[in-house]
Amino acid sequence: MGVADIWLDFWTGKGPGIDELADAAIRGGRIYADKQLVVTRTLEPYGLCFSGEIDITNSKAVPQALSLAFVRNGDMHLDVSGLIFCDISGIRSFVDAAEAMDEGHLLLHGLPPLLQKVMTVTGWSDMKSLVICHCAAVGR
Amino acid sequence: MPALNPVEKFRHEALLYSGWAEFVAGTVPFIREGVKAGEPVLVVESVDKIEMLRIALGDETDAVLFANMAEVGSNPARIIPAWHEFVSRHAGTGRRMRGIGEPIWKERSADELIECQRHESLLNVAFGHGEPWWLLCPYDTEKLDAAVIDEARRSHEFITEGSEARRSEIFRGLEASGAPFDVPLPDRGTSVGEIAFGVDGLGSVRSLVARHANAAGLHRERVEELMTAVNEVATNSVRHGGGGGSLRIWQEHVALVCEIRDAGRFNDPLADRQRPSPVHSAPRGLWVANQLCDLVQIRNFANGTVIRLHMRRLPTHRLSVVSDAQDYTPLN
Repeated sequence: MGVADIWLDFWTGKGPGIDELADAAIRGGRIYADKQLVVTRTLEPYGLCFSGEIDITNSKAVPQALSLAFVRNGDMHLDVSGLIFCDISGIRSFVDAAEAMDEGHLLLHGLPPLLQKVMTVTGWSDMKSLVICHCAAVGR
Repeated sequence: MPALNPVEKFRHEALLYSGWAEFVAGTVPFIREGVKAGEPVLVVESVDKIEMLRIALGDETDAVLFANMAEVGSNPARIIPAWHEFVSRHAGTGRRMRGIGEPIWKERSADELIECQRHESLLNVAFGHGEPWWLLCPYDTEKLDAAVIDEARRSHEFITEGSEARRSEIFRGLEASGAPFDVPLPDRGTSVGEIAFGVDGLGSVRSLVARHANAAGLHRERVEELMTAVNEVATNSVRHGGGGGSLRIWQEHVALVCEIRDAGRFNDPLADRQRPSPVHSAPRGLWVANQLCDLVQIRNFANGTVIRLHMRRLPTHRLSVVSDAQDYTPLN
């Protein structure tokens, strides 16, 4: 999905709202930041980039950030290569977003081996709408 | 071997044996009868015993699934999920199933032994109301202490000794098998790190674990796994254990141990060994801790919960397939 598609989604009401897009443009794509986590929007490919740590103090921000970029029928790419730590509820938020997708996929790029293992032992890595990409990290 | 009656429900039986001949005499007819009846049979034993059984069984080996107990049951809390996978794979086919599992051997550490004994009791809870299958648990009376054999008589409804199978008179029963586990945890080692935490303290908890795990010489991958497990248990303390708790870290001979205490109580004896459904929002912290750590000790005391997470400094076996005749993997 390219920039044009994003704007198409915007005009058809499927994608992010004007406030979020304007906000993203002004702040260099940053849609969430606290002392241990930064979430930025990525356009090529379309999605979000997570850097830092997700734990009980900020795990509620993850579904909120995901909802800002959520596309029901397209693919959403998440660059998680910069995640130093992510607890299970953080991973659960990615899984919930993938579950809510109708036709598209949630693609995780640069998933650290530990998180991959946690997803395997919880059975989440078998979800059809969730793809763990073994290609290089994107959108950074 | 008499009394090989068909089972209509879960039958949990200890086989008391002394020496290889008695082991073979107690297990081979049990396996053969299962194979003859078309029952799926899974044997979780040591590599040596698997080799011996294969030779003794000859052509019938192909009909039997084998897994290495040293790998499956390295952390005893992973054994019930492995049996559960075996049983649920064959459930509803109308066929009974058979298993042989020897989780206790002489070289088990004191902590491993007590968790294995807890595991044996929890098998009654996990399968007592479920599918009909027969689990035979060999106990080596020559090598194991008498107290270990006594405990086997309490955790198994049936005991086979010599050629005689009978009900154990001191079996503790299904309900007591799942009672809150409050066996005291012995003091071991001097704390190298200690911290009290609340909702904002989990970053400090992770830093402390990472620092001491690195200092203890744990491999980087294991440091991260321990950090994740401790973080999940501490998160449970914040959410369900009164808003926080305390962490204590010490080194033992082979492992680094992290102990988390909080004021919470829970009463699901299988909370840490039931594979969570991927699409269910059930808690996963204790399950994941058991998959990542070498040993997890959970105690429910009157004044709160204590959980010890052990991580060995030497690499441990990971779960793998032993049988090349079947593509059975007890766990991923």
